[in-house]
Amino acid sequence: MFNWIKKGRIYTPENYPDRPNWMLEFAQAPFTLELEDRVRVYFGCRPPRDSNGQYVTYTAYIDLDKNDLYNVIDISKEPVLSLGEKGTFDEFGTYPFSVIREKNEIRAYYAGWTRCDSVPFNVGVGMAKSTDGGKRFTRVGNGPVLPYTAHEPFTISGPKIKRFNDTYYLFYIAGKKWILSNGRPEISHKIRMATSNDGINWNKINQDIVPNGWDENEAQASPDVTYANGKYHMFFCGWVPSSFRDKPNRKIGYAYSTDLVHWTRADELVGIHTSETGWDSEMIAYPHVFQLNGKTYLLYIGNEVGRYGFGLAELNGELK
Amino acid sequence: MKWKKLGRIFNVAEHQLPGECIGFSQSPQALVLDDRVRFYVTMREMDSNNKFKGQIAYVDFDLALTSVIKVSEHFPIQLGGLGTFDEHGIFPMNVLRHNDKILGFTSGLSRRKSVSLETSIGLATSDDNGETFTKYGIGPVLSSSLHEPFLVCDAFVLHENDEFLMWYIYGLRWIDKAEADGTESRVYKIAFAKSKDAIHWEHTSELIIPDVIGENECQALPTVCKIGNRYHMYFCYRDAIGFRNVKGKGYRLGYAYSDDLVNWVRDDENGGLPLSEDGWDSEMMCYPHLFKVADQVYIAYNGNAFGKDGFGIAKLESV
Repeated sequence: MFNWIKKGRIYTPENYPDRPNWMLEFAQAPFTLELEDRVRVYFGCRPPRDSNGQYVTYTAYIDLDKNDLYNVIDISKEPVLSLGEKGTFDEFGTYPFSVIREKNEIRAYYAGWTRCDSVPFNVGVGMAKSTDGGKRFTRVGNGPVLPYTAHEPFTISGPKIKRFNDTYYLFYIAGKKWILSNGRPEISHKIRMATSNDGINWNKINQDIVPNGWDENEAQASPDVTYANGKYHMFFCGWVPSSFRDKPNRKIGYAYSTDLVHWTRADELVGIHTSETGWDSEMIAYPHVFQLNGKTYLLYIGNEVGRYGFGLAELNGELK
Repeated sequence: MKWKKLGRIFNVAEHQLPGECIGFSQSPQALVLDDRVRFYVTMREMDSNNKFKGQIAYVDFDLALTSVIKVSEHFPIQLGGLGTFDEHGIFPMNVLRHNDKILGFTSGLSRRKSVSLETSIGLATSDDNGETFTKYGIGPVLSSSLHEPFLVCDAFVLHENDEFLMWYIYGLRWIDKAEADGTESRVYKIAFAKSKDAIHWEHTSELIIPDVIGENECQALPTVCKIGNRYHMYFCYRDAIGFRNVKGKGYRLGYAYSDDLVNWVRDDENGGLPLSEDGWDSEMMCYPHLFKVADQVYIAYNGNAFGKDGFGIAKLESV
């Protein structure tokens, strides 16, 4: 079992009373970019609900001092990416956000949100680029980079971009069926994968790649893959929809693979759970692993799906 | 191109319609069978929110295209389930015989909040001469992509030299009501895609047909026929704004030709299908569809009011 040492919260919205309105609430789905002197952590945030009770979502960042990850040295002044134009797939939200360095630019793959009539939303994966080191991004196009297809019909979300062996890998989640639960449309997602040589044209493998571990109807999210010691390690989160209304018990799962296609579920190794009390006592979710100065860290969100921010854990030992 | 208009051959009001359909027979798409020509059209049902849903039905004609043999009593293809791309209508369905199957390329509609709708192209197949179609997956085969942000629809597909060729349209922009005299407006244009299997499509997002009325020209329903070595395309076009009620701004038929499938010459004046002086196609002509019965080329299309009352045909007399 991995031995994760919880180090406490890194970002708590309430600790920034002067934060702008667009990042007033939540801090979800952290994802890091290592820069020269800092680690930039992108995360999703929201202004208050509008007059119709609807949220939009943006992506913000905080910069952590590389030599002291508890020292926040900068915070984004504006959303890293604007919302999409009228009628586009990302008109009402641009998160979760993941990035990768490509020559002189930073590329982002993010989830875009639109609003539908019969179901609350649809989600698609967009692509954007930054030429200022990841502060501001512009869209590569106004449509999604990963299309809806016959077997991934809608709600394609939570993209995480990686590159292994000169190939781009996009891990994401996709829904297959909206189900009416007490008259409300609800959706469950599974982890999927696509590969690409150029980051633009993607080949979907069209499989649910991670076996169920909690329940056959479990929802999976935030597939975060790291290579270490001859294996690919995936931390992700999930929940069981039938229990979700009563008790929103998201938790973190683990799987490993040697070929990125066939994954062995091994939650018993995950080594991180909810705390007895405090900000992460009800749930832990949206894991993101990064390595720095020879150490392995995990960022994750806590209660109420990140309403109270995200925290850090450090691995005692190695991923293997 | 010299055409002889044969008038409105299908009048919706004279027939019993399937389901709860209240009228319309939009965008006729022909499938030629041994003893009849089957036209798939989109009829309208009203749902519980008093919004209409486009449903595919068919109308069978004799091979001379003079009398109706049958109007389908069922819908050959079902609308999609909750949240799918074709939940709120199919308009239209293009059909193509391929080996021992009939392929149906559907334009599915789903309703949105900030704009009225989104569309994508789906694939379905029939093993029973087009009586019933089964969908390939519950999602689309061609939908919005990086440079085609929304409103991908109106597929017209041919199969040549082991390749499927698709002409379709995609949306360039939505125009705010304030800029468009109070009505929601959008601009869409014709593009081209190719595929080996009818499932995976290659496309470059290039706009292939030049505008004649400016950047707000909307182009829809491309249809293509090869005669000799030349490809002839008809489509309908209109101004993005004012098309519903300003005379002269509604749909007309456009025409273009190409000898290489790459370069298209826009040549509406020689298309030979202007509005009539009076009658059912005097205010609007839209949703054209080219087809052949034996070696005779026909075009089916809708007239005034977007096909509310039926569809008609014209016969090609000379090129």
